[in-house]
Order: sequence, then structure tokens, then C-alpha cells
Amino acid sequence: MVTETILQQLVLFVPELILTGTFCLILLTGAFTKLRDYGTSTLTLIGSIAAFISVLPTIGVQKSLFAGMIAIDSFAVFFKLFSLVCLIGITLFSLHAGELKLVRTRSAEYYALLVAMTLGMFLMASATHLLMMVLAMELTSLSAYVLAGYTKEAADSSEASLKYILYGAVASGLLLYGISILYGLTGSLHYTTINHVLAVEPLSRVPLALVFVLLLVGFGFKISAVPFHSWTPDVYEGAPITITTFLSVASKAAGFAMLIRFFKLVCVNPVASVEAGYSIPLLPIDWQLLLAVLAVLTMTVGNLVALWQENLKRLLAYSSIAHAGYMLIGVVSFTDKGIASVLVYLVVYLFMNMGAFLVVMVVANKTGSEDIRTYRGLGSRSPFLAIAMTVFLISLTGIPPTAGFIGKLYLFAAALDAQWYWLAFLGVLNSVLALYYYVRIIRNMFLRESESAVPNISLTSGEVLLLGALLVPTLVFGIFFSPIVEIAQKSIVMLGVP
Amino acid sequence: MLTEFGKIFIFFLLGIGLVAAGLVTAWLLRPARPYPEKRATYECGEEPIGSPWVRLNVRFYIIALIFLIFDVEVVFLFPWALVYRNLGLFGLFEMVVFLGILFVGYAYVWAKGDLSWDKPTPQIPTLHSRVHFSEGDLQTPSEQRR
Repeated sequence: MVTETILQQLVLFVPELILTGTFCLILLTGAFTKLRDYGTSTLTLIGSIAAFISVLPTIGVQKSLFAGMIAIDSFAVFFKLFSLVCLIGITLFSLHAGELKLVRTRSAEYYALLVAMTLGMFLMASATHLLMMVLAMELTSLSAYVLAGYTKEAADSSEASLKYILYGAVASGLLLYGISILYGLTGSLHYTTINHVLAVEPLSRVPLALVFVLLLVGFGFKISAVPFHSWTPDVYEGAPITITTFLSVASKAAGFAMLIRFFKLVCVNPVASVEAGYSIPLLPIDWQLLLAVLAVLTMTVGNLVALWQENLKRLLAYSSIAHAGYMLIGVVSFTDKGIASVLVYLVVYLFMNMGAFLVVMVVANKTGSEDIRTYRGLGSRSPFLAIAMTVFLISLTGIPPTAGFIGKLYLFAAALDAQWYWLAFLGVLNSVLALYYYVRIIRNMFLRESESAVPNISLTSGEVLLLGALLVPTLVFGIFFSPIVEIAQKSIVMLGVP
Repeated sequence: MLTEFGKIFIFFLLGIGLVAAGLVTAWLLRPARPYPEKRATYECGEEPIGSPWVRLNVRFYIIALIFLIFDVEVVFLFPWALVYRNLGLFGLFEMVVFLGILFVGYAYVWAKGDLSWDKPTPQIPTLHSRVHFSEGDLQTPSEQRR
């Protein structure tokens, strides 16, 4: 019976159901009760922790659900846990965000949309059907459009939202166009079926090349890869900083999950891969080279433009573009090592990037500015904050003994292993380039005196705890990194991949 | 050799051709004697007033959005109603959950006051003038004559 199989499969779908329930509950709470900020954020935390616990039993399960729409496998579980950690982190951030204090009356919508975005990311990570993928992406994007303009009283927030929605609409339009051509060529929307058709039938190169360029527009928009990145700086600068953080970490990770799953399932040679025991690329067009060019462009443009940014939020936006480029190196190498290195990098990136944004948020709360000049003399005014920022920035650069070094090491090693020598070389070169603008902030904090009398920044205990919770992993994973590497190596198991 | 898409292409060409043929024939046969009334926008036979580019109340947008959501739900209800007997209790429960989630949206919209259409309070223009009018000044000439 169909209904019984669906009921059996629903057991594996509990995390998503919990998130849906939390979403509805928060909306209703906001509409009908007087519970505001603390009430709704507590609900979000309870919901996300419940979802986290319900994901745990699905570790190690490999199953395809709902007629091949989504897959439950270690890869999906990894990204589900990842986005939940982000959600919990952002919820805690939001309690300290000064920007959001002005719009407390709408906090139910804020948290509800955060939960909806996480639900979208869950589905993005596990979709094995093109329509499901698009739907999940739209769920994430639509929530993000609204959240980017959440502080609608601020002009740049509304501007960010509008820019985001315009770019997003074009990107998803192009993605859908690519999908429709792919459907016309292969007659299916299931990843595995498309893969079989691609492997068996000789398809002409031109429409296939068009399909992959169009799909890359959609994926590239989500991970903000150059040349589809132009929305990133404006949206990251205008959106509330909590949302910027969420977009730069969780949304990007979900984009990578989608990209990796698509290429791993659709663009491999099924027969040769089973014989060889590892994934062998398929397709008449050299999509690996296409991705490699994209990676180089993303790294270089992100880093070069970051050099002259004065606004820290904007600087971190460009740095996050560059980091997407580094992660693309792992995707290009396409080996198990490469994919595992992307996962390692994402975990590391979660801590260091969220940490850097948290410092920017705390400083902006007190001074009302994100300008680099505000950071002058921060080292003497609030040493803890300055030292924390230094650690995060050093980690973002990729200098040992921080976690960022381990992330980069694995990425470049994977590229060398797959014989992408020039790509690894350009990656290392870019890290050196990035050093300049990260160190510029550090120099401002420690070696420059502030011109005007700036108030000391005192931290609340909650902020200290949050900073510590991000600081410790950034340092510890730099030395004691085998656990994340092991988790990443286990998490690359994907349903239907040899 | 014609592929399936080739047939669609011929269909497409035929469609364009038919429309073009109709327009061209009409253009060849009809007498061309335009005058301003003929070229004016047709507004149910009335003389057009003002430009059609008017501002619309933003509330229409919200109403249209809400309408869309609750309209699309019917698309799911029809096929469900057809196979309802085969699905049994599970199907009923499934649809209750689906409608329940939609109802959350409805309740939210209602509670937020997006469904209440507050009527504009028209401001009747009043004349503030330093000139003192007598009763007769405000009357039209025909009224004065009476």
C-alpha cells in the first residue's frame, strides 16, 4: 500500500516535521499572544534542539523517501546538523543584536522565517529530484528576501531586500530554464535517471553546455560565486547582521550541499565509477574546468575587492565570496578527499566566520558603526574582544595554529591529490592576498590609536559566553582536528554514489 | 526526420502564421480613416478621463497574494477528492494537516488585520475665504433667476 510506505517513511522525516510545527507555532504565538522576543526565541531554540535530537537517529540510515524526492543519508544528516547549529547560534546572536531591538514587535516573524529557512536548507541538502531542489531553494530564498529587509525602517535594509529579490528572481528563472532544457533532453527530473540517460545516450554538446551554464547560475547565486556574486556585498551590508551571518554560513553551506549532490549524482560515469571504486566525471563538456575557472574567479575577485573595503560588514561579505572560491576547489577535485575537505572547511568556517561577525555586531551595538576606523585602539579599550577578533581573522586567513589552517590544508591537499596543481597554487596565492586585508583590521585594533574619545566596550556575560563558544573550537580544531576530519569522511556517504 | 519538438515547432509556426495572416488581411481590406475619437482609449463608450497610469492601493497586492495562496490550495483539493476513497483515513488526515497549515496562514493574516479593509474617511472640501458671501452669491445664475 502506498499510504503505509509513506507512513513508514514519515518516521525519517520527523526533523522536517518538527521544524514545520515550530514555524506554525511561532507564527500563531506572534499573532495571538503577547509573547514577544524572549518567548519566540525560546520557542525557536526548543524547536531547533528537538529537531537536532530527532536528526540523530537517522545517522547511518541510507534511504530514499517519497518516490525518490529526497534522500536520507550521512551527507544530508551532516548538513542538517550544520544548519541547526547555525540556527541555534543565530537565535542566540539575535538576543544581543542592537538592530533588532527596535523592531521587537515583529520578532515572531523573524524567528518563524529563520526556522522556515532552515527547513529549506534541510530539503536543499537532501533533494534528489530537480523540482524538490528548486522548491527547497525557493523556500530558503524567499525567507531570506524577507529577512534581509526585516528592519524595514532602515533604508539600506529595504534596499538589500529589493536587490536580493531581483537578483534571486533572475537566478532562479535561469536555473528553471536550465532544468527545463535538461528535462527535455533526458525526460526525467530524478538525479539518478538523468545520470543514466546522460551515460547511455549520445547527447549533443551545445544544449548540454547551455544546461550546465544555466544551472551554474542558480548554484552560483546561492553560494555567491563570481560572476553571480553582485548581490552579496549590498545584501550583506544592508541586512541585519544576524541575517548576514546566517546567509554567509548556513545558506552558503546549503548551496554547496545542493551543488555537490547534483554533480556527484548526475555528472559521474555510473559504470566506470563502480569499477574504479571512485567517482569518475561524465559529460561531454569539461564541467570540472568550468568550475575551476569559477573557483579562481571567485577567490581572486573576492579577495581583490576586499582590499579596499572600509565597512567591515562589506569586507566580510567579500571575504565570504573568496571563501566560497576556496571551497569550490574541493568540489572541482571531485574525489572523496575533495568533498570531505569541503565539509571540514564548512565546519571550520562556521566557527570563524560567525565569530568575526559576532565581534562586528558587538562593536556596532556599542558604537553604531561598522567602519574600520571604529576599530582603532580596540586592543587597549577591550582586549578580549580584540584578541577574539584577531583569532577569528587569523583563522580566516588560514594561519596555524587555528582551525582555518586545517581547513585550507585539506582543501589544497585534495586539489594536489587530484592533480589540479595550478588551482592549488592559485588558492595559496589568494590566501596570501587575503592576509593583507585581514591584517589591516588587526593593525587598526592594536597599532593605531583612536582619534576621538570612544567609550569602552563592556561585554555582557551572554556575549562573552557566545564569543568563547566560537573561540574555543576555532583554536582547538587547529590542533586537535581529527574528530571533524573523521566526521567529514563519514559524511560524504551519499545515496546512490559508489 | 521530425522529432516531437519539431512537431511542436511546426505548430508554433502555424500559430504565428494564422495570427499574422489575420492581421495582414484586415490591414489590406479595411479603410484607413483615423480621427481623434477613433484613436482614443475605449472606456465603455465614455470619454476617457485622465491617464490610465494611476497608482493602485498597495493593499490590493496583499489581497491578491492571499487570494493566490488560498486559490492554489484548491488545485490540491480536486485530485485528492478524486482518489479520496482509495486513500481512506490516511488521506483524510493528510488533507486535514494540509488545510491546517493553510489555516495557520489564514489565522495569521486575519489576526494581523490584513483582511480588514478600512474605509477611507472622505474629506469634504470646505471653502475658507475672507470674502463675505451673501446667500445669493453662492447660487448659480439659474437659481438666482428663480
